[in-house]
Amino acid sequence: MEVNKVFLVDDDEIFRTAAEILIKSEGLTRTIEQYKNGLDAYNKLLELAGKINELPDIILLDINMPLMNGWEFLEELRMAPDLINDQVHIYILTSSIAPDDLNLSKEYGFIRGYITKPLTKADVNKMAISVSNPSRQI
Amino acid sequence: MKTNCQPTISIEDLPFPIVVLDKKLEILRCSQIFFDFFELAHSNCQSLTLKEVIGELPISFSKILNRKTFLNKELKEFTAHVTRKHELKWFKMVLYPSQKEKCYYLYFDDVTQKKKTIDLSLQAERAARIGSWEVDLVNHTVFWSDMTREIHETPRSHVPNLETGINFYKEGKHRERIIEVVSECIEKGTPYDEELILVTAKGNQKWVRAIGNSEMINGKASRMFGVFQDIDKEKRASIEYQILTDRMRVAVESSNIGIWDYNIIDNVLVWDDNMYNLYGVKKEDFSGEVAAWETTIHPNDKDRSIQEVEMAIRGEKEFNTQFRIITPEGSIRHIHGQGKVFKNKHGNPVRMVGANADITRIKKVDNRLRQLLNITEKQNKNLLNFAHIVSHNLRSNSSNLSMLTGMLLDNTDPKSQEKFLEMIRISSERLDETVVQLNEIIKIQSDQGKNLQWVKVEPALKNALESINAHIEETDPDISIQIHKELKVYAIKPYLSSIFLNLLTNSIKYRRTEEKLKIKISAKTISNQTIISFKDNGQGIDLKKHGEKLFGMYKTFHGNSDAKGIGLFISKNQMDAMNAIIDVESEVNKGTIFNLCFTNKTD
Repeated sequence: MEVNKVFLVDDDEIFRTAAEILIKSEGLTRTIEQYKNGLDAYNKLLELAGKINELPDIILLDINMPLMNGWEFLEELRMAPDLINDQVHIYILTSSIAPDDLNLSKEYGFIRGYITKPLTKADVNKMAISVSNPSRQI
Repeated sequence: MKTNCQPTISIEDLPFPIVVLDKKLEILRCSQIFFDFFELAHSNCQSLTLKEVIGELPISFSKILNRKTFLNKELKEFTAHVTRKHELKWFKMVLYPSQKEKCYYLYFDDVTQKKKTIDLSLQAERAARIGSWEVDLVNHTVFWSDMTREIHETPRSHVPNLETGINFYKEGKHRERIIEVVSECIEKGTPYDEELILVTAKGNQKWVRAIGNSEMINGKASRMFGVFQDIDKEKRASIEYQILTDRMRVAVESSNIGIWDYNIIDNVLVWDDNMYNLYGVKKEDFSGEVAAWETTIHPNDKDRSIQEVEMAIRGEKEFNTQFRIITPEGSIRHIHGQGKVFKNKHGNPVRMVGANADITRIKKVDNRLRQLLNITEKQNKNLLNFAHIVSHNLRSNSSNLSMLTGMLLDNTDPKSQEKFLEMIRISSERLDETVVQLNEIIKIQSDQGKNLQWVKVEPALKNALESINAHIEETDPDISIQIHKELKVYAIKPYLSSIFLNLLTNSIKYRRTEEKLKIKISAKTISNQTIISFKDNGQGIDLKKHGEKLFGMYKTFHGNSDAKGIGLFISKNQMDAMNAIIDVESEVNKGTIFNLCFTNKTD
């Protein structure tokens, strides 16, 4: 299933470029918006407040980023749940394999999954299935 | 049945109770005192019978009645009698046969007092378990009292003699000793008083106190007498106590614990030998006053220790503390002191007794352990940091590589492939860079405290400035250096330059574009510490938000694309390796000050 829009939040430009190509080639979406840190993505969500149709279907969120890291971004969302709705699927996409990070991610109930880099075709396809079948998590 | 008895003097007038009896013990006559003695009315004695006066007759008396012949020797009997005042009285009765008169004289003696005394002494003997004995050295007879028999656990039928008496003593030193003292007592009349072990007739061992003496006649002992006391219970308790005391003494001696005893009222402090060893003080040099103890305490611990003694005396806190002392030779020892305060019946403290132990060795080991623990904790933290780098930075590059190579293989379009190859090149370069950084950090951490030397600050600073010449020309900052040409710090030379370089680069990187960059580098020395400060008027940093992470690895704060989050982490590691401290003061949009604090080696 193809979705409207994906936010890719990561400070690593190479990764952003590669991931965009991979996601598009798998046909998950045609529109990917790149943000190089949590703050930029958060500001965009503030801009979209009230415009439900323009919200992304998927947010792929890195953890280690300057200015506002992944956790801080999630905290902001937790404080302002109105910014997104249930249609927005958030995935943590990180190179960290530290158990602490995985455990911490479980404290945010609204996260759909925790993916460790490298991002694979299989990961992208699972996301596609999950979006069409909201009860499933990856 | 009256016989012709004609006494030559008047019986009636005799000044003691006496009666004259016929062969059948019928009263013939009596003295006037007799009536008084038995509180009888003065009347005709012939109307009285002996039975009426003294009650049931003793068996020996009754036998006389059945005799055909006249008794030819005197008879002694004791009898009890309850007076009209309900007092118990004891009498000795002596029956004298008078062959000439063919009658008996019966004499009464009041022995109540004697009887009581004997009873009491028997009771005392029993209670104290004291038995008596006597040896007649002329006739070779031995007398043992009941208690003496009981102590020896012999049957009543046992007939003791001097030799068998001695054989009751335990073979070995106990028997040898008794033979020695008895011989001396017989030969020279020397009395003895010994505590020895006896083996009773029943085979039980018990401690006795044997006291003996002899009666010398013409330089020859005629009689030996003495007492035995069963001291088994007390002796065993005292032996037990002695063993405990000995054990305690050995423990105290070998554990290097000193005991002290402080008389609070007289202000006298008594030390045992161990205390003198502990404090390295000679007995003759110690005045025995508390002040003498106080002078040995380390100045930094003195007030506290004295206060703790006073608090213990006031009953506010138990005395259980540690302090250092300085021995006359000047060495420092750690002492653990414990004490207890004793009060008189009015509740006033009068005495304090306690122990001191030398815990210097334990202290040293403890400190060493603490040091090791600190190092371990630090290493652990470092390891976690490494885990973090491996997990994050190495993986972020390697995962890019794996993604890109996969995509390169999937995609045959030459233009795309070229793009992927360029991205692969960048990723592999970054991977290489990360590995180099890791290597550098490992090197710094293994350099901890090594290669330290006196380094001139100014040349190191000039060196750093030169290497960023291009940047400086581009941004044209005001750099003011207020450092004495000769200032030196105890450091590792390349690290010092590297830190300077990093701080200068940061100032340039995070300057405010709207204002000309000003950098002021100054130094001050306070006692053995030199602080070099780098102050700029740049963007500053929100320390409330980022303060904790500022010196962390791969932490970036400004969103600059060229920020790697490694510079301050490396600077911090280098400062650690030089046992120096880096700290920061900053305000957003005002500027930042980094202080480098070096502790200079004192030779």
